[in-house]
Amino acid sequence: MDQFLQQLVNGIVLGATYGLIALGYTMVYGIIELINFAHGEIFMIGAFSGLTVYNILPESIQANYAVALPIVLLFAMLGSVVVAVLVERLAYRPLRNAPRLAPLITAIGVSIFLQESVRLFYPGAKAPLPFPRLIPEGQLVLGGVEIPWVSVFTVAVAITLMVILQLFIRKSKTGKAMRATAQDVDTARLMGINTNKIIVTTFVIGAILAAVAGVLQGMRFKEVDFNMGFIAGIKAFTAAVLGGIGNLPGAMVGGFVIGIVEAMATQYIPYGSAWKDVWAFVVLIAVLVMRPSGLLGTGSRTQAAPA
Amino acid sequence: MTQVTADTSSSPRWQSWSVPAWVEIVLVVASSSLLLLLLVWGLAIEGSSQFALFCLLAVLAAFVGSKLGVWDWLKGIYHSHRRVALFMAFLLPLAFPFTQNGDGYWLRVFASIGVFAAAAVGLNIVIGLAGLLDLGFIAFFGVGAYAGALLSNAAFTTVHVHLPFILVVLIGACMAALFGLLIGAPTLRLRGDYLAIVTLGFGEIFRITVNNWDGLTRGPNGISGIPDLNLFGFDFGVAHTFLGVELPGFANYFFLEVFLIGAVALVFVRLNGSRIGRAWVAIREDEVAAAAMGVNVVALKLLAFGIGAFMAGAAGVLNAHVASQVSPDSYTFLESILIVAAVVLGGMGTVPGAILGSSLLFIIPEKLRAFQDKRLLLFGAALVLLMRFRPEGLIASKRRRAELHRGQTEEPGTVMADLDISSGQPGLPPSVVEPVVAADAPAGPRTVPNG
Repeated sequence: MDQFLQQLVNGIVLGATYGLIALGYTMVYGIIELINFAHGEIFMIGAFSGLTVYNILPESIQANYAVALPIVLLFAMLGSVVVAVLVERLAYRPLRNAPRLAPLITAIGVSIFLQESVRLFYPGAKAPLPFPRLIPEGQLVLGGVEIPWVSVFTVAVAITLMVILQLFIRKSKTGKAMRATAQDVDTARLMGINTNKIIVTTFVIGAILAAVAGVLQGMRFKEVDFNMGFIAGIKAFTAAVLGGIGNLPGAMVGGFVIGIVEAMATQYIPYGSAWKDVWAFVVLIAVLVMRPSGLLGTGSRTQAAPA
Repeated sequence: MTQVTADTSSSPRWQSWSVPAWVEIVLVVASSSLLLLLLVWGLAIEGSSQFALFCLLAVLAAFVGSKLGVWDWLKGIYHSHRRVALFMAFLLPLAFPFTQNGDGYWLRVFASIGVFAAAAVGLNIVIGLAGLLDLGFIAFFGVGAYAGALLSNAAFTTVHVHLPFILVVLIGACMAALFGLLIGAPTLRLRGDYLAIVTLGFGEIFRITVNNWDGLTRGPNGISGIPDLNLFGFDFGVAHTFLGVELPGFANYFFLEVFLIGAVALVFVRLNGSRIGRAWVAIREDEVAAAAMGVNVVALKLLAFGIGAFMAGAAGVLNAHVASQVSPDSYTFLESILIVAAVVLGGMGTVPGAILGSSLLFIIPEKLRAFQDKRLLLFGAALVLLMRFRPEGLIASKRRRAELHRGQTEEPGTVMADLDISSGQPGLPPSVVEPVVAADAPAGPRTVPNG
């Protein structure tokens, strides 16, 4: 039982990161119907930006987690946001009216480009780089379940951000404009919404969440790697589809489900760890076959959109 | 690509000169032979920077040529002498091994290109004709390769049978097609971008499975020591002397591949011109409209998927023999991206495009050793730039070009201009022509406007 609970907790922690990344996918898809393939790379760049700033900081600050952590997070966000906005501006926006295949291929190109840029030009990035933990070691013991503080922090941050995002989308004027744009870009524009600005805002919010997820993952695994974004991005996308793409709470739920499935499969299926990256895809295919609109999604997504 | 630019200095009037048919035929033969000579010459250039200069000149010549209209003019001539052009298209690749003086280096590279190009033509059916993005295509190639490795009694095989090559090709191709149908059947009724992710997932599942299934595939070590082909007593591994020229072993594979690509290309062209091909175009353009016109959308997509996978499987079997070993690292996501890049770079929907794309993707890194490490970086950038500035690829199909440049300059008389439904309102600036939301889209606050 303890083992089961332990895996459940592990899954939730894992899922918190996937959920944060999935939000970026789902928001962008909700607005411009683009699978932003490069989003996983934005997550990776967040982690690397955070690491860069940490390495620049003087040792006295490095040791003081309460100061270092916010600085690392802030610059991680900054790095991700700058890259995401540039990508949107230079690669995606010119293709806004192109056939669907074109932006998707562009997104793949951007993803490879960013990944390779980090691998080639970030000093030492050809191998995994150590990342500071920035949270006191030790763990929270609940019954027989041990949860490292960094995991507690991960889940707490993820849930806080989701609540803030939800409030922002529901209550703020920008959030309202985003919802309007997601429903109908043309009508939103006719209502006086600067849809280009809203699209950029969406990318910015997605990048912020991804950057936080990147730093959290770096802190938990104590290392970052140039290709960490690929598999995490795929799993997060799976989470977004699972929850019903375009649906914010759905992305979080999907993230948790994927995380828990992965943790459980690793534990309870023989040779599970060798296959751990397979489960996300198995779940994805199963969901698409049985409930293409996702767990919380509404409406059918099986038809073709206007090209 | 590189052509004589000297004779273009005259005014465009020369384009309308009527020359006797035999002159045109000579021109076709001469220009295509010149292409082979330039290729042989380019490959013989030592040193990365000299080769880069050569490429630059070639690109420049191609650009100047297109500005002066040489290509369109030549295209017209090639078109009016299709048979001669086709004959040259077969003859020149077959002549290539004779230019190498028994040196096997480039023949080895070209043998790898050949299988890759055959698979790329198969993928071009899926992407170029049916408009389905398959990001796990290399898995079908891999299925074929593993079938080839396991069924021809390789040194490290786990299944000790040795079936005739023709049978193995059929088995490998059919298995790949079966996987294609299995993965396609549940997902092809979904929207295109979901398909991309599911195929990507399938590709990863294939790789991880092959990596872990020690009992059959020997896991990460792969299967090595795959014997050379032996067809009707003809050993593909040994050098042969023909017409006084020594042809290394890889030349045999290369010859076989020329015929394989020919066969694949024939299927491609015949399909493209058929009712099925037109139905694919209709699906690619607008699925809803196609379905409304009575096109069986799911069955035809499945067909495209199955045929593409079949071709990849056949190419994969041959690849096992050419490379003489198979291992999971050869079938990663990046390989899938490479093959998509080959199709997109060369030109979606054309056979020469897929072949040119695969050749460039292999030759350029092979020559520019200095850039080997940056190869992927350049691909990424190239994909982005290509989609931005020339989405139809280097050798464009007319239809694709019309389709991809809509909303910009709609040349009068382009094939699809009048069939284009979603942006068919002339006079509206492109920015106004956004995807239309279907009336029955649910009115939830965060749902996707996709109809």
